[in-house]
Amino acid sequence: MKLFTRYNRINVIASILIFLIGCVAFYFVISYVLVRQLDKTLHNEQTEILQYSKEHNALPEILNTTDQQIVFEPTTKLLQKPKYASYKLWDEKDKDMEWVRNLTFTVNLSDKIFKVTVTKSQMETEDLLTLILYVAISMVALIIIANFIINRMVLQKLWQPFYATIGSIEQYQLSKKTATQLPDTTVDEFNLLNNSFNSMAKKVEHEYEMLKEFTGNAAHEMQTPLAVISNNIEALMQDELVLKNQHQVIAIIEQSVSRLSRLNQSLLLLTKIENHRFELNEVVKWDTLLTQKLAELAELLTAQKLQITIDTIPVTTLFHHHLADIIISNLLNNAIRYNVANGSISIQLHINQLTISNTSLMPSLDTEKIGSRFYRHSATKPDGNGLGLSIIKQICDVAGYQFIYTYEQSQHHFAIVF
Amino acid sequence: MKLLIIEDELSLNKSMVDYLSNQQYLCEAVTNYQDALEKIECYQYDCIVLDIMLPDGNGLQLLKHLKANNKIEGVIIISARNELDDKIKGIELGADDYLTKPFHLPELSVRISAIIRRKNLQGNNVLTFKDIQIDVLAKTVCINQNPITLTRKEYELLLYFIINKNRVLSKNAIAEHLWGDDMDMANNHDFIYTHIKNLRKKLITAGADDNIQSVYGMGYKFS
Repeated sequence: MKLFTRYNRINVIASILIFLIGCVAFYFVISYVLVRQLDKTLHNEQTEILQYSKEHNALPEILNTTDQQIVFEPTTKLLQKPKYASYKLWDEKDKDMEWVRNLTFTVNLSDKIFKVTVTKSQMETEDLLTLILYVAISMVALIIIANFIINRMVLQKLWQPFYATIGSIEQYQLSKKTATQLPDTTVDEFNLLNNSFNSMAKKVEHEYEMLKEFTGNAAHEMQTPLAVISNNIEALMQDELVLKNQHQVIAIIEQSVSRLSRLNQSLLLLTKIENHRFELNEVVKWDTLLTQKLAELAELLTAQKLQITIDTIPVTTLFHHHLADIIISNLLNNAIRYNVANGSISIQLHINQLTISNTSLMPSLDTEKIGSRFYRHSATKPDGNGLGLSIIKQICDVAGYQFIYTYEQSQHHFAIVF
Repeated sequence: MKLLIIEDELSLNKSMVDYLSNQQYLCEAVTNYQDALEKIECYQYDCIVLDIMLPDGNGLQLLKHLKANNKIEGVIIISARNELDDKIKGIELGADDYLTKPFHLPELSVRISAIIRRKNLQGNNVLTFKDIQIDVLAKTVCINQNPITLTRKEYELLLYFIINKNRVLSKNAIAEHLWGDDMDMANNHDFIYTHIKNLRKKLITAGADDNIQSVYGMGYKFS
């Protein structure tokens, strides 16, 4: 439920309740005032009758109207106080029961006592009250309609900055460094939200930068110790006696150091790509590059008896030579490494797409994880470092290319869409 | 051939000196900027191995100094930072090559040898090992004066072996030399085996001795 729908619901219910209570109270107050006024009129009548009987020692002549009737009745009992009362009476004219108000008092006339009853219709009072009720009901209806309209027109406009903020938060990508400066609005609460978000984004970006810097620095700092280990192992390898006794140990250390160095270099490369250290302003001839790389690998391809199908047209893009080199090297390297003897590699270069497909014993890779770091299919040999494809993915992201993997007819297809 | 090794990491410095001394180079080693400056001012070297990050100065300053004094030494920069900017700046300041740490000693040796050959163009550009002659300018190989045809990779491999003769060379070092760092081929040793098998076959067919030995399955030795 939307915040203002909820607020509105409470608001409307409260307003209706207050109005109803108000109406009831109003009804009683008005009714009390009107009855008092009626009583005053009746009292005036009483004063007139009493004065007349005192002066003339006789009862006045009565002219009864529909609005007011006076009745004299002889009685024996003297009333101490005049008595006011309301009750329902059958009205001949309107053919329904009608509220009336009457006043009963006694008059002393030369030993005779008369009971006087003055009756007045309460009809007008009732009409007024009905009117008040109608007004109250229409007021409640008006409140609901007004709320609905405000909700629709005004509130939606008022909340606009909020939705704008949510929109920018949704678009926000830490690694892309999209502009996060949210604009000022005229509403304090939204300003608070925007400012908080801005400062949070700034903090997160700062932390992210620090982390990236740390990764980069850590990898850099590891280079020299790695060089020390690697070079000393190479020196050790030259010692015939040591080699004879410890060649297995030395081989293991040598290979692990070499793996670690390559891993480190891949991480450094990733950091550099992430930090946009490569300017994509060189004209890269993909077809020429492919031919070059294939020539370099020609002997390996024949050694593994791999069948190569090439279908290329001249394609040039504004890119970076080194990065293009990495993409093609990594793709071809994988295509050869995970291939089977007498397998095949197919290379297709079209105007906006480079596809390298190969046969392999490996099953389909997980398309979700294909670009994530250190993802390695469980069936792979442990010699790769699991960064090759994520480097390609990262380069594609930076260049705005698409990297697509598909598995069809027991062939792995890796495509770069320029 | 006289080399100056400028590297502040002592053990790295020592392993370079050991390896290169074994290759008949005369090596002098310093570990800081001031000592390096002194050596450069007083002596003449064929090649300088220069670490950019020194505790008391920047290696690039030494390059500037060399350039300002018209010294013609060949310089190879070794750096932990594989930064394109550093590389470009170094080459602009007159360095001949750039090697990123960690590197293989045989690789350093090959690069130094290439620099020295380039600097002494007037000298001999034919490398000879027993009955094998390599013309490094024409990039041709002869066995007993009979030319043989090698692919580019085989030629590079042979040159690498001859420069690092009598040394045990690991498969990783060979793979990285042939395909570079970016190509993650190094662990696929079948690739190297294929090249070595072909090279060996060609050399033996042409009448050369079988110089390539496999060493405990971890590498090869050319002797």
